[in-house]
Amino acid sequence: MIEIEGLKKKFGHNEVLKGINMHVEKGEIISILGPSGSGKTTLLRCLNYLESPDEGQIVIDDVLINAHKVNKKDIYQLRKKSAMVFQAYNLFQHKTVLQNVMEGLVVVQKKSVNEAKEKALEVLQKVGLKNKIDAYPSQLSGGQQQRVGIARALALNPEVILFDEPTSALDPELVGEVLEVIAKIAREGKTMIIVTHEMNFAREISDRIIFMDNGVVIEEGIPQQIFTEQKEERTRQFLKRMTPELDYSI
Amino acid sequence: MGKAFDPILIIEFLPTLIKYLGVTLEIVFFSMIFGTIIGIIVALPKLFHIPIVRQIVTLYISFIRGTPILIQLFLVYYGLPALLSIWNIDITRMDALYFVIITYSLSHGAIFAEIFRGAIQAIDIGQTEAAYSIGMKPLQSFFRIVLPQAIRIAFPNMANSIIGSLKDTSLAFTIGVMDMMGRGETLISSTAHALEVYISLSIVYYVIVLVFEKIFKISERYFNRYQPHGISSI
Amino acid sequence: MTIDYSFIWVAFKEILKAVPLTLVLTFVPIVIGFLIGLAVALIRAYNIKFLSQIANFYVSFFRGTPAIMHIMVIYFGFPILLDYLIKVFNLPFQSNNVPIVLFVITALTLTAGSYLSEIIRSGISSVSKGQIEAAYTIGMNTFQVVKRIVLPQALAQSVPNITNLIIGFLHTTSIAFLVSQKEITGAANIVASKNLKFLEAFIAAGIIYWVITLIIEALLYFMEKKAKSYSRNAF
Ligand SMILES: Nc1ncnc2c1ncn2[C@@H]1O[C@H](COP(=O)(O)OP(=O)(O)OP(=O)(O)O)[C@@H](O)[C@H]1O
Ligand SMILES: [Mg+2]
Repeated sequence: MIEIEGLKKKFGHNEVLKGINMHVEKGEIISILGPSGSGKTTLLRCLNYLESPDEGQIVIDDVLINAHKVNKKDIYQLRKKSAMVFQAYNLFQHKTVLQNVMEGLVVVQKKSVNEAKEKALEVLQKVGLKNKIDAYPSQLSGGQQQRVGIARALALNPEVILFDEPTSALDPELVGEVLEVIAKIAREGKTMIIVTHEMNFAREISDRIIFMDNGVVIEEGIPQQIFTEQKEERTRQFLKRMTPELDYSI
Repeated sequence: MGKAFDPILIIEFLPTLIKYLGVTLEIVFFSMIFGTIIGIIVALPKLFHIPIVRQIVTLYISFIRGTPILIQLFLVYYGLPALLSIWNIDITRMDALYFVIITYSLSHGAIFAEIFRGAIQAIDIGQTEAAYSIGMKPLQSFFRIVLPQAIRIAFPNMANSIIGSLKDTSLAFTIGVMDMMGRGETLISSTAHALEVYISLSIVYYVIVLVFEKIFKISERYFNRYQPHGISSI
Repeated sequence: MTIDYSFIWVAFKEILKAVPLTLVLTFVPIVIGFLIGLAVALIRAYNIKFLSQIANFYVSFFRGTPAIMHIMVIYFGFPILLDYLIKVFNLPFQSNNVPIVLFVITALTLTAGSYLSEIIRSGISSVSKGQIEAAYTIGMNTFQVVKRIVLPQALAQSVPNITNLIIGFLHTTSIAFLVSQKEITGAANIVASKNLKFLEAFIAAGIIYWVITLIIEALLYFMEKKAKSYSRNAF
């Protein structure tokens, strides 16, 4: 359902993505791991064209974009196929929780206000925030804000939800509530690509794990394989640093 | 409406007008110095909540912020001699330039006072507490810790109001000051080429403002040198 | 030299009649200037080719020169331009039929536009980049992002600065008296010259400006509180 071929991206002379190939099945849950600066965020941002890749091709569902011939219309089509959950939440500060979730439904999907509201309430119920619908983002905790961010993405019923370190900005005691919500959506069969540094979470939730370093995919496989029998030295080194308790679990 | 428009005159008038730039800068310079002194004095009663004086100062600031500089200029020009004549002091023959400097100093004093107060109050109380905790006395803490940080915050606003005052000097001619604008007015009466004179004046003011802005930007970078992200204003 | 206190009251009543003109000279330029400022701010924020260069110069020049220059250049320049056009196109009217107040309003509108564009621009840059990206990821197009996400927040952010600008403009209108407009200062000048009581007349004018300033400030303060209601906790 998602097909990425030869994706390259440079910032000035710094080649951040050096030819990424990736395939994601419908309903699959993919975690992307890798050291800081390896290009994970950039990859996700290319998938919805917040960054324009220099080369390569992206297919999501029935939308195909080639870096060499893009037009605005294709970009908007591509964006409608995915939704994104940001590390910094990025909620619309001038809109209430309910309005944040309804915004895309009304403005982009052209649903009626009533229909949008019904849908918004449904997803807000799912993320456990039905009692906060009239609050403004500035009145919520980080964990609550991120759950609104997830609801905003989920409401659009996209083919895939992209998560970029959804819990890194949170206080440790708030991480759990957000991961729980993500796990719940995962169980419902939504396709998801998650960039995270939460190793245990990635291991439990993912169907497949992709390990990136320095702009290339080093290794991919089911969690069991990636966490216990890495083929690549770099993967092993990284996991050793991130999960010291797994050191001798082989 | 004067004679036919002649663009060459715009250039020809420039040297004549620039000769009077000194007077314009003199007004800006002195009103800035006196304004700063007044501003500091006036900010204190509000910062330290001194009763009665504080109310008077508030009224003064409100009046300056509530009236056009032109009205303030006329009030000083006609009012100061009347006030001083009570003590038999006659200043009716004083050069108009002094009335302008007095007015603009009073005007700046009020604006600067508000800027200083805002800047000082923007400094985290934790800074003072930290200063006390290492044994500093209140005055030491104020001058060594609070004031340097406050100046950084106040600077962009002060720069703005100095540029504003530069532009405001263009009104001094209304009470007969011979600055750039005053010279422009006499040029108009002698040549009847008003449009060319005003365009010429605009060019001079614009260039001076650009130069001031440049200088302020460089100084601002200096004040912000220990700010990691170069926050230039609050 | 003594002050004739009763004449302050006489002048006060006379000058009061000039308040409507002062308010027109203040608010018409602000309202039209707001539209100019909005367009100019967006042109600059989105760096539109060619237009943004013109916009940059317009803002920099008008903010860098005294408002009295704008009034004078337009007061003397517009009729020349108009007469020229009338001659070229053989139009059936004369430039001295155009009331001076229109020149003043035109000049002040251009002045207001330059200041407002700068205010709106700083409002726009206060909207976090992340929110704009979030809006794109839910599928909005640029127009929708500007209209629904950027501008509402940018304008709410601009309210205090616009308040200051309105007060500033109320005071700036005083220079219109130099092209013989009968607004507050002009009216004061006339009363003063007729009776040779300058100080009294300008005291009355000062009080009127002061009171109008306080009223406008109070009104805008309440509006400001309403506009900012979504960020009760953040500020
Ligand atoms: N807008 C940009 N301009 C220039 N360089 C950029 C930009 N965005 C990212 N980079 C560079 O690209 C590289 C990859 O960044 P990216 O954010 O994709 O890494 P990441 O894997 O997400 O890291 P982290 O785990 O720290 O979030 C880094 O070297 C970064 O400095
Ligand atoms: Mg990242």
